[in-house]
Amino acid sequence: MMGLLVLLNSHKGSEDVALLADDLDLEIDEILPSLEYAQVLQLVRVTDGRVSFTDLGKRLVQGSIRDRKAIIRDQLRRTALFKTILRALESASEHCLSGEELNQIIAFTTAPSDEAVQNIVNWGRYADLFRYDADERRLVAVRRPPTARTGPNRPPPPGGSTGPVERSTGEGKAPRPSAGSDPSPRLAGAASATA
Amino acid sequence: MTLIRVEHVDKSFASRHGTMSIMQDISFEVKDSDFLAIVGPSGCGKSTLLRLIQGLDQPTAGHIFFRDQPVVGVCSQMAMVFQSFALYPWLTVSQNVAFGLEALHWPRERIAPQVERYVSVTGLDGFQEAYPRELSGGMRQRVGLARALAVEPAVLLMDEPFSALDPLTAASLREEVLQLWRDPQLPPEAVLLVSHNIEEAIELADRVIVFSRRPGHILAEVTVDLPRPRDRKSSAFYDLTDRVYSLITEGGQSGIASAGAETATPHAG
Repeated sequence: MMGLLVLLNSHKGSEDVALLADDLDLEIDEILPSLEYAQVLQLVRVTDGRVSFTDLGKRLVQGSIRDRKAIIRDQLRRTALFKTILRALESASEHCLSGEELNQIIAFTTAPSDEAVQNIVNWGRYADLFRYDADERRLVAVRRPPTARTGPNRPPPPGGSTGPVERSTGEGKAPRPSAGSDPSPRLAGAASATA
Repeated sequence: MTLIRVEHVDKSFASRHGTMSIMQDISFEVKDSDFLAIVGPSGCGKSTLLRLIQGLDQPTAGHIFFRDQPVVGVCSQMAMVFQSFALYPWLTVSQNVAFGLEALHWPRERIAPQVERYVSVTGLDGFQEAYPRELSGGMRQRVGLARALAVEPAVLLMDEPFSALDPLTAASLREEVLQLWRDPQLPPEAVLLVSHNIEEAIELADRVIVFSRRPGHILAEVTVDLPRPRDRKSSAFYDLTDRVYSLITEGGQSGIASAGAETATPHAG
């Protein structure tokens, strides 16, 4: 995705999607997954086949590698999937989630294939939202200052409830995961998304 | 200030069919804050030249200097990034980055903060405990980059570093390398990139040295005076690309002719 933003920047921040793809001799469908990530994270908007930076996207591409990471972190936190994962981590014993528990959460939005899991793990690692212990196959919370906590609602322990974690902890702002609003279905689509 | 000076370097290898000349009479300089690219067809000796410059191998004739000192043995002021990433699969990201420092016998207590710093500047924080197999190609190459930069080299040598990556990943990594190179707080002072990709060289470098086919010799040095970020579809960019292509195709033919005349070349090219 970052490659797409860098590319867009070399086109002065606004370009026809087809021409952008053509720049790297790619077909449009090869840049679509990246484009969708960027849209979900509100870094670009697409109107009439033309993609342009949002203010945030402009700020990201002009920032240092560290600034970029911080922006992605904030934006990922707003997505339903990461909200759910982070809340679950927060309330989990020892702030760890097993691979099984992670699969359960992911299953609400997409099929938890190995690729999807790895992809979500990569996004989370990139944004420094959680760590992943590959030997133990478990997600581990990253300790943060209290201001960085996601919200006042304490979610039930994951797996402890039969209902969707998402629904029981929603703050009203978090939409139900749907194909149109959540990055996760497409997170399964491009393995190298974070790069 | 001149960092690297390559003077009349020849390299040849003995083979069953006689001596095979890899490159002939190579001379150029890498100066402080240079971004220099070497392009040429595959087999023209570009990678061999990087190895000679770092001191991994010796030239058959000629001299290589780093800050006016002859390069003898592996020079710790230079670090290499490889096309194949060359990571140790059984080591985590942090351990891979630490590897170069351990090899240079850094004191243990200085290694951890140094690793942390370069993991962070290359955008790898969060991945410290990951194994290479868990990473995408782009992230793997960032590990290669972090490992190279952690030793704080004056010159970063890059051997086709973006060739094994998908185009979008390569685009983002190229831009990050430019960021690192331009940041005065961070190494390297200069970058020497070897690539067979002419557009990539012109997108990144201030100067492009064009190699002929084997035995490689310098056909021209092209100055790239375009503002960054560079638009690959601009006419100025296209003109430069076209010029380098022409140099390689025309120069390549005479290169083969002279190779046949001067040496017993076992490969047609």
